[in-house]
Amino acid sequence: MASEVKLPRLGQGMESGTVTKWLKNEGDAVAKGEPLYEIDTDKVTQEVESDFAGVLLKIALREGEAPVGQTIAFIGEPGEEVAAPPEPEPEPAPQPEKVSDTAVSDTPVAAPPAPATSNGRVKASPLARRLARERGIDIATLRGTGPDGRIVARDVEGAQAAPAAPAAVPSGDIESIPLTNIRKTIARRLTAAWQAPVFQLTVTADMTRANELVARARELNPDVRITVTDLLAKVCAQALMRHRDVNVQYSEDALLRFPNANIGIAVAAPQGLIVPVVRGVERLSLAEVAVARGDIVGRARDNKLTAQDLEDGTFTISNLGMFGIEQFVAVLNPPQAAILAVGATVDTPVARDGAVEIRPLLTLTLTVDHRAVDGAEGADFLRTVKTFVEDPALAL
Amino acid sequence: MPEVTYREAVRDGIAQAMRADDRVFIMGEDIAEMGGSMGVTQGLLDEFGPDRVRNTPISEMAIVGAGIGAAMAGMRPIVEIMYEDFLTLSLEQIVNQAAKHRYMSGGQLTVPLTIRTQGGAGWSPGAQHAQQLEAWLVHVPGLKVAYPSTPEDVRGLLWTAIHDDNPVVLFEHRLLYPVKGEVPEQLEPIPFGRARVVREGTDVTVIAIGPLVHRTLEAAKQAEEDGISVEIVDPRTLQPLDEEMLVASVKKTNRAVVAHEAVTRMGFGAEVTAVLQHQAFDYLDAPIERVGAKFTPLPFAPVMEQYVVPHAEDVLAAIRRTVGK
Amino acid sequence: MAFHWSATLTGGAYTPGTLAKVERETAVGEGTLRAFLHDMLLIRRFEERVEDRFRAGELPGFLHVAIGQEAIAVGVARAMEDDDIFASTHRAHGHTLARGSNPRRVMAELYGKVEGVSHGYGGSMHLYDIEHGNYGANAVIGGGLPAVTGAGLAFKMRNEPRVAVAFFGDGATNIGTFHESLNLAQLWRTKTVFVCENNHWAESTPGWQHSPVWDDMSKRALAFNMRSLKVDGQDVEAVYAAATEALEYARSGQGPVFLDIPTYRMHGHYIGDPQVYRSKEDREAAAFHDPIPRLRERLGLSDEEFEAFDEEAHRVVDDALEFAKNGTDPKPEDALKNVYA
Repeated sequence: MASEVKLPRLGQGMESGTVTKWLKNEGDAVAKGEPLYEIDTDKVTQEVESDFAGVLLKIALREGEAPVGQTIAFIGEPGEEVAAPPEPEPEPAPQPEKVSDTAVSDTPVAAPPAPATSNGRVKASPLARRLARERGIDIATLRGTGPDGRIVARDVEGAQAAPAAPAAVPSGDIESIPLTNIRKTIARRLTAAWQAPVFQLTVTADMTRANELVARARELNPDVRITVTDLLAKVCAQALMRHRDVNVQYSEDALLRFPNANIGIAVAAPQGLIVPVVRGVERLSLAEVAVARGDIVGRARDNKLTAQDLEDGTFTISNLGMFGIEQFVAVLNPPQAAILAVGATVDTPVARDGAVEIRPLLTLTLTVDHRAVDGAEGADFLRTVKTFVEDPALAL
Repeated sequence: MPEVTYREAVRDGIAQAMRADDRVFIMGEDIAEMGGSMGVTQGLLDEFGPDRVRNTPISEMAIVGAGIGAAMAGMRPIVEIMYEDFLTLSLEQIVNQAAKHRYMSGGQLTVPLTIRTQGGAGWSPGAQHAQQLEAWLVHVPGLKVAYPSTPEDVRGLLWTAIHDDNPVVLFEHRLLYPVKGEVPEQLEPIPFGRARVVREGTDVTVIAIGPLVHRTLEAAKQAEEDGISVEIVDPRTLQPLDEEMLVASVKKTNRAVVAHEAVTRMGFGAEVTAVLQHQAFDYLDAPIERVGAKFTPLPFAPVMEQYVVPHAEDVLAAIRRTVGK
Repeated sequence: MAFHWSATLTGGAYTPGTLAKVERETAVGEGTLRAFLHDMLLIRRFEERVEDRFRAGELPGFLHVAIGQEAIAVGVARAMEDDDIFASTHRAHGHTLARGSNPRRVMAELYGKVEGVSHGYGGSMHLYDIEHGNYGANAVIGGGLPAVTGAGLAFKMRNEPRVAVAFFGDGATNIGTFHESLNLAQLWRTKTVFVCENNHWAESTPGWQHSPVWDDMSKRALAFNMRSLKVDGQDVEAVYAAATEALEYARSGQGPVFLDIPTYRMHGHYIGDPQVYRSKEDREAAAFHDPIPRLRERLGLSDEEFEAFDEEAHRVVDDALEFAKNGTDPKPEDALKNVYA
């Protein structure tokens, strides 16, 4: 049998090499030690000498890369059999590690009941504890599905989604959906709000300059998505600083007048209506408001708000414009004294200087708690808001 | 974009820096005609000549120390320490001198020195030619430390290191030298203290350096098949460290794994873990896992070496532990 | 243990005729010698005051005075050009003052004040004054030597007529950095001068106990094929001449020079050192070789004339002390600055 010329290991760490040039042709005689071919390694191109004497019967790899040890040629006596050049062994496809198939269920009810307490201490991850704290859930009542029966975030999240056993569905079409904690909270608070004596004021504002400002601001801040809501929040904040008596919270004993305008943004989150707060809006630039608003709205939708995000609001903006609603009255968000309902901006024909023009008009409706703020004050505030919206430069 | 090997990227970074500024020169053992024990400096002698590409005797103290002196006297030297293990021989100069001249002089001096070295396991180098010692260097105030994992990163960070007025230790890894990667046509300097998101994910963040970045990518692919979405962040520089990005990522995913080839115990990963637990405590849904080498010198026999060094499977196992799957 | 001045060059092609040339050309004028005395007395009185204030409990840290070794500091410093640089040891006050650092700022540094040369960050063992070419005193024996080789390399690469000078003691000739630095300097012919102040003590270890060549340090240089000059460290004129010759050679780029300078450490290793390891005779011998009376004699000064010099030295030191004591303490948070450029 002919001898096989294999690609040699020429240096530490060399795993493969590239044959670039053969110095002998098939049929040539080769002496032992004679340079046979050239090889390119990572570091250098060099000649490789033949280990065998004889005739170069066959070149299996003319040019190209091969792993160390692969047969690239055959040397022997003329007429000797040459084994077919072996195919490089296909690498076995890497098998993913077989891990035991533990089904992970989202509802803690189905999970193996491992006691989560040890020595009276509840085993729970820091995240789980925080979520439980924020949602008012007693963590000790939960079962943990984490390692060693640790309560983890999904256990807390699941607890809210499915309290106790799902109610049996009565026969027929009616589905009974148990009230979630959030729904109960909303119901409770808004019932209280409905009992407050309120009045409502409406204005329409020409959005021409406001729209230009938002467009320009977007150009200047390409990384931030600035919206009309941001502009309105900013404008309201400035207005609140000029009408400090509107920037109040109502309580039985006293009106709490806040030094900063902490604007709540009403968000329709999957779990229900929630109003996270952007603090100190009067101090923020429009871009900063947009960043803060984007952050809390995002977190509201992901259900990752903290208790702090919901506290200390002094005023709320509720925008249903994106649903095409032209005008609506928002329910007060106690203990805040006022809430602004924002509709859609509609191109409307208006009379101006004796001619008819099409202008983008926005309807703003302010709901005010009469216990805290009187009609004239409320009207004055709303007029300021309209003035600022129509000419934002005046707010500076 | 052109594709080059990590080795070529280092060479290119050095060459471009030397072309642009006469003050840059390189010295080290066997870097001239031989082109360096890892072939990194090949061709540089031909282009720049022996005055700027200097073979040194085997004297790590003097190599680094002369670099310090030349740097203090206005040059921008690059010093190559052949094996990371030999850094130990020059530690007095790095730690007592280079790191402290600026401070002890009350701000009068700068030491714009770059120390390049390579280390790590692979090909049975034995215990004295395989160490990963970044944890020692990040512990010294006054030093900056980088550990790039890709051709683009090593070229960009090397440029920044050379032009930084502080002493910088830049770690390369021998298994990374042949790794190919895309680099921008024009060299883009990469600032220190800026981590890179290698892969986006939502279930767990793996913070990895050096060769573990690549092993983690493998592990992440496997994890994906099991429905685990892995985010990989490469800090790229260990000092300064982009704590902000690391913490933001963990706050997003709620789980973390820190992976390096160096010995796990008391390693760089321990510091990252401390930072994460401190700044993202309420966001952690699982204990932070660490992946690294076992607590032994590196053994010679290949089966033992493989056992000690961390692989993709180890990262995958750590990922699984965090998600409880 | 008497050393007399001799200039002996070893290594390389040096012909005896040049020896005489050194003698002739570098004989200094009286004005220069008086300047030497001024500087040496300043150092002496400064160091004595420092010892005194340390004993009074006013100075934090470790201090090492150069009493007895002033001639080397002044002889070498005065031979250096303005743009030359040097690195020193833990025993750095003499070199620092001799190169022109303001005594007020040196004293302020010892008191840890913001007005100090290192702004309170370094102290006695880390005096730096870049303006006067002082690239740092070093608390690690031999720690500064490699950098001096490196600076000498930079000057060579940029073809600048500047020299980097390293001061160190006999103790340092045993440490790794010494050998590596001299080896590399000679190999690359860097513009470096290595000044060995051989006071025959490595802290408490006498020369014969720490070095096989303690009585002829030029053999260390020979091992690297480096030029060396041996000169009596208590004769400032001779030191000046030898230093001039060495600096000229190094400046030309032909290679580094080793100055083997036997001297006497008249006090202990550090202030407060009871020197239990040192015989009375040895201490007396050191005092006998005080370089200041020797220079005074050389100048032929009367008591009044010498008094005048001494009063001036005291005046400067008093002023420096006053300045330092009234200096500003750094704010504690200043500790966080200057870690990185």
